[in-house]
Amino acid sequence: MRTRHNNRLGWLFASPYLLYGLIFFLIPLGWSFYLSITDWNLIAPVFHHVGFENFMKALKSPGVHAAFIVTFKFMIVFVPMVIASSLVVALAVHGLPRFKGLFLIGFFLPYLASGVVSSFIVKGFLSYNSPVNKFLRGTFSLDVNWLGTPFSALLVVSVIMAWKFTGYYALILTSGFESINKEIYEAADIDGVNGWQRFWKITLPLLYPALFTTLILSIGVTFGIFTEVYQLTGGGPNFATNTWQMEIYKQAFQNLSAGYASSVALIASVVTFISIFIIRKFLEMWGKRNGWT
Amino acid sequence: MKMKKAASLLLGATLTVSALSACSTGNPVSEDSSKNGTTTIEFWAAPNPPQQAYWKETAKEFEKSHPKIKIKVSPIKESPTSEASIQSAIAGKEAPTMSENINRGFAAQLAESKAIEPLNKLDGYNDIIQSRSMSDTIKGWKFSDGNQYVLPISSNAMLFGWRLDILKKLGYSEPPKTYSEVIDVTKKLKAKYPDKYLWAKPDLADPTAWKRWFDFFMLYDAASQGNNFIEGSKLVADDKAGVDVLNFMNDIRQEKGILTKQSKDPFETGLGIFTDIGPWTLTYWAEKFPEMKYKETFALSAPPVPDGASTKDVSTFADTKGLVIYTSAPENEKKAAMEFMKWVYSKPENDVKWFEKTNLPPARDDLATNDAFKPIFDKNPALKPYALAVPNAVPSIDNAKYNELQTYIGQYAVNPVVKGEVQPKKGWEKMKEAIEGDLK
Repeated sequence: MRTRHNNRLGWLFASPYLLYGLIFFLIPLGWSFYLSITDWNLIAPVFHHVGFENFMKALKSPGVHAAFIVTFKFMIVFVPMVIASSLVVALAVHGLPRFKGLFLIGFFLPYLASGVVSSFIVKGFLSYNSPVNKFLRGTFSLDVNWLGTPFSALLVVSVIMAWKFTGYYALILTSGFESINKEIYEAADIDGVNGWQRFWKITLPLLYPALFTTLILSIGVTFGIFTEVYQLTGGGPNFATNTWQMEIYKQAFQNLSAGYASSVALIASVVTFISIFIIRKFLEMWGKRNGWT
Repeated sequence: MKMKKAASLLLGATLTVSALSACSTGNPVSEDSSKNGTTTIEFWAAPNPPQQAYWKETAKEFEKSHPKIKIKVSPIKESPTSEASIQSAIAGKEAPTMSENINRGFAAQLAESKAIEPLNKLDGYNDIIQSRSMSDTIKGWKFSDGNQYVLPISSNAMLFGWRLDILKKLGYSEPPKTYSEVIDVTKKLKAKYPDKYLWAKPDLADPTAWKRWFDFFMLYDAASQGNNFIEGSKLVADDKAGVDVLNFMNDIRQEKGILTKQSKDPFETGLGIFTDIGPWTLTYWAEKFPEMKYKETFALSAPPVPDGASTKDVSTFADTKGLVIYTSAPENEKKAAMEFMKWVYSKPENDVKWFEKTNLPPARDDLATNDAFKPIFDKNPALKPYALAVPNAVPSIDNAKYNELQTYIGQYAVNPVVKGEVQPKKGWEKMKEAIEGDLK
């Protein structure tokens, strides 16, 4: 009797979130499934059911192929970049005798910065007639088309993203560092380990829970890149930075193909789910090897 | 027990709030639109301050002589774009009665979805066309189904700007008019100023659909003497003109006259000496670049044409925006909207006020000849070439798929040609193949 009462109370307490989830996640998801089998453009009073035509079209589309590949390219460039930079920041802050919080807040600020504003600044910074490029051309005869060549455009977007997320991930990693028992280091010192061994054999394996979180978060970010790409490259050159979100935006809001855009969004969510699932399994295997279960 | 009560209250409050928000239409105007015999219409104006101010003032004036009609002017939200805001308003059944700032391509999308009214079927349409003196200008606006869905407010015949100060240093007193003359200028420019470019424009390498209005279509309209590009769902582009345009771009590239790298204010800084200029740029320059002076620092000209073609009455692209009435509005609101449009365009003073406030040339046949506009041209002579070009201006294509189709022009033709990745003829063929494939 008591259990049933507790259950009811539990449901009651969870109801605001459940209702929120229903209105903002489940119903839109169901609606998206429905839209994906229609040719509706969000405006027309009548629309047709087209079966799986949208999915077939999406699977053949160069924009979707690019989005699939580009996401993994971003993963290869952005994830190591942001993990390395946040590790460096976390290590530096961890070693500070005081004002750790203040420094962490400082590094966290870019996370709050508007992607539109930072993209505009970068655009100006990298423009052909900017002081940086004038210096590169004048001193080293280097004429770099930063946003006009596939790799450099990808690199520029990755750097902005890494700048934005470094402080946030450093916060997580710093708490990971703080949770490592100092006695382990003392024991290691007695055993005569050097700094390199300390990092690779003690710090990194013991940092696994925090690293796991930041890796999964940063991988998730690569599936949702939009603002920087929209502002800086528009998905170009030649689809080199055409992310899933960019493709969905173009189809839904430029071409007004809401049905087709829904099918692309569903394909993107399946790809995201499978990719994160596989990567998570690999990370868990690495964790198990280091004694984490 | 207390816990249970608190939880029940929390759930109750959540459900009530949700139910209340679901009941709201969020559109109080349509509910009250004909209260006490007064019709209230909602008018979405372009979000820029001069246009907002113009429509608010004009609506107030109108209300004085039409006490039974109230006009609520508000800006179109631009999140993420004005088109997307209109689209979501229609989807959410919150579309206004009427709005401005609608280009012909977007109007085609709306018309295909039966979201906007064919204005020619509403009472008073012919009166507007006659009283505003716009029977020639409106011809180019006819949609492929024979209807007129948009009443053009302004017709920005796009012109090319030339850095006259730099041209003079190269020995020219006026902008070149033909392709070979432009190539000569490029050669002389590169010989004297190797760091400068004829055409410094990153958009040339960007496939975004609307960017083709300000490079390809300006040149294509000029080379084809205003020949249509697409009629209904058929590609009718003039092949010779199209290939000529791409060859012209390729020739400038071969002379190292094109810069597609991102650059800041390339024309204003003199990095490039040739670019598309709309009348709105003049307002921007007056604020940010006062050193840009007409007939001193810069000159305006129609797009260059292929050698041997006539350099008189050259066609160009018209960046035009207009008014539409939404089908979702009740009949009394549509009638009131037409009444408002009739009143606004019954006297040239309203167009004079528009021109003064926005610098955007009203879409009228008599713009260059009507004395009412003379003081504006006397004050700002750079606007005169735009007024003269209005009759030769060709609006954008009226296909609902204009976005995809114009993206192909960039993706297969313009972008690879300016990068030297494809031969002009090959690029043109690939573009045609993509467009025709999509139009099937």
